[in-house]
Amino acid sequence: MKSLILAGPMIASLISFSGAQAAPATGAALFAENCAACHQPKGEGIAGAFPALAKNAFVKGDPKVVAATILNGRGGMPSFRSDLSDAEIAAVLTFVRASWGNRAVPITPVVVASARSAKVAEGPRKIMQAH
Amino acid sequence: MAMMDETSGPAAGVLTRRRFIERLGLVGGTTMILAGMEALGFGIGSAHAAPPVLTGSGNGKSIVVLGAGLAGMTAAYELTKSGYKVTVLEARSFAGGRCQSARAGVTITELGGQAQTCNFDDGLYINHGPWRIPYHHRSTLHYTKTFRVPLELFVNDNDNSYVYFEKGTGPLAGKPIRKGQIAADARGNAAELLAKVVNKGGLDLPMTQEDRDLFVAYLVNEGYLSPKDLAYSGAEGRGYEIHPGAGVDPGPGKLTTPYSMTDVLHSKTWSVLTSVAGYEQQRTMFQPVGGMDRIAKAFEKQVGHLIRYSSVVQKIKQSDAGVEVAYTDSDGKPAVVKGDYCICTIPLSVLKSIDMNVSAPFKEAMNNVAYAPVGKIGLQMKRRFWEEDHAIYGGHVHTDMRDIGSMSLPSTGFQSQKGVILGYYQFGNEAAKISAKTPAERAAHAVAAGQKIFPEYAENFETAFSVAWHRVAYNLGGWAEWKEDGRRDYYPTLCKPDGRIYLAGEHLSYMTGWQAGAIESAWQQIAHLHRRVMA
Ligand SMILES: Cc1cc2nc3c(=O)[nH]c(=O)nc-3n(C[C@H](O)[C@H](O)[C@H](O)COP(=O)(O)OP(=O)(O)OC[C@H]3O[C@@H](n4cnc5c(N)ncnc54)[C@H](O)[C@@H]3O)c2cc1C
Repeated sequence: MKSLILAGPMIASLISFSGAQAAPATGAALFAENCAACHQPKGEGIAGAFPALAKNAFVKGDPKVVAATILNGRGGMPSFRSDLSDAEIAAVLTFVRASWGNRAVPITPVVVASARSAKVAEGPRKIMQAH
Repeated sequence: MAMMDETSGPAAGVLTRRRFIERLGLVGGTTMILAGMEALGFGIGSAHAAPPVLTGSGNGKSIVVLGAGLAGMTAAYELTKSGYKVTVLEARSFAGGRCQSARAGVTITELGGQAQTCNFDDGLYINHGPWRIPYHHRSTLHYTKTFRVPLELFVNDNDNSYVYFEKGTGPLAGKPIRKGQIAADARGNAAELLAKVVNKGGLDLPMTQEDRDLFVAYLVNEGYLSPKDLAYSGAEGRGYEIHPGAGVDPGPGKLTTPYSMTDVLHSKTWSVLTSVAGYEQQRTMFQPVGGMDRIAKAFEKQVGHLIRYSSVVQKIKQSDAGVEVAYTDSDGKPAVVKGDYCICTIPLSVLKSIDMNVSAPFKEAMNNVAYAPVGKIGLQMKRRFWEEDHAIYGGHVHTDMRDIGSMSLPSTGFQSQKGVILGYYQFGNEAAKISAKTPAERAAHAVAAGQKIFPEYAENFETAFSVAWHRVAYNLGGWAEWKEDGRRDYYPTLCKPDGRIYLAGEHLSYMTGWQAGAIESAWQQIAHLHRRVMA
């Protein structure tokens, strides 16, 4: 070959997708996507590893505290602050609080927004670093 | 000592310092040189370069070590050398803990997940746990050297690899760009701007005219500027469109045209550039030839006879007389092992659910550290298209694609037929999200992302092996992540023994998520334990 032309990247750029706007996800879909890997599909958790969300007093408790937990993370649970919008967090929490025997008032995006603007008591989490 | 005088006083300078170092070498060999370098402020390594010297004998005192990861095996190896009687309980059927490599036949079943068996061809592997070693992790390197584990270079930075950013704007968004081209153009354009302003006296710099001229000369060099008009118009190092060759065709070849500063800025790809490498991440690092688990296997050769495999710790009880550890053995039957002391290397994410009689503050401290969700996937490719078609030999592909983190090309087996690519390496909520998918869905996700960068990706993909460390039993997370308040309020408590129980592992170091952290934590704890036994 007489030269090394950058054919690969050019082709790749032609087939790259133009991010189509998806319809807003439901609470159930958001749960399946973001939470179910650990808390399990029916919120049953895994003993000794991931807490069950079904019939969980904490989950059914103060909306502000619950919203802050998703925003800031807790124990091994990561923060979803930069990944989920207020509306999405409200939707997924409302779903969890009304599923698997849980019964608690819905959580509104307004509550999430105010939890988001509250100062994080323990300071921001260290940015995840590669090892 | 006379030589100290030579290094102080008005004459002390580079030459005398070098003489000092040479003298040290004459007296005490390399170790002396290293210690001397440290004294002069040329620190080159982690706090400890060699295991503690345990003078005197453990005199047959018995130690129960929990966990046969690197921390546990380090403790077992060093304590045995000093006359202690060591028993190691390990939950898994193999030693090494996180220090694993996946090759044909390796199986994994995540909590709540499907069983996976690695189907890579013979000789191929992925380091789905630890994969690179910095030059200053002298503790890890101490054992690779002692146990004769051959190392090779790990390509941690490659100018010819791609950066793929789709969240920026402009003509470079959503296009694979050679990292070296971004580096050349970002720095070249920045140097041009600065050089022109400085040259015109446009900046109020506290510099003499001579310094200013030298600064401009530096910028000309740094940014490949034309000395005549201080313009940046590309650089040889960013590559050729037609490479130089023989005769008149291709002859001199044809240089590539630089990207404009605006395009580079808006692409956001510059975020992968920094003027120097990080402390933990250097441009070249090390990896064991054949897989990271060669380190685990080398330790196992030394201490394997002390390990009781498939032995899951259930309860740790201590009294004035000693420690008693209840576990289920390889047949699932309850068993007990007793000892004078216990060194427990079980990750805190797991340990906090195990019944043990320690003080309330100790218990509370164990509950106050988070473990990182981390995901990796290895993709076996039929053909090394990244080498053959793109001339990329090792290194990473940095991207801002969702739920990918970064990708990496193998630093081993260059120019052979097949290879295993690291298809993603993500953390936090991205790792949590992808771990909800089945192994097949994860592979599909990784391949779709890779296809955006390499058109040959999907057609060459053969088989995958993925792991989500937060869902792996006996680990429940990639590594400990201490927050500031945790380091302040809880970490020191755990570094001290609770009665006869000493904790060790990467989580009890400031090198969390590194093998050196596990090894050096073990070194520190056995030194403390030994001092107590000798007292
Ligand atoms: C994805 C990833 C990438 C990494 N990259 C790097 C890297 O590039 N370089 C580097 O140096 N380090 C890296 N690390 C970190 C490195 O792997 C760890 O710091 C180190 O291996 C931890 O050793 P350890 O002995 O402290 O813990 P482990 O290796 O986890 O050992 C603990 C042992 O305890 C056992 N155990 C758990 N529960 C029980 C029980 N109930 N009963 C009995 N035994 C039990 C476990 O099975 C395990 O063998 C990486 C880690 C991950 C996950």
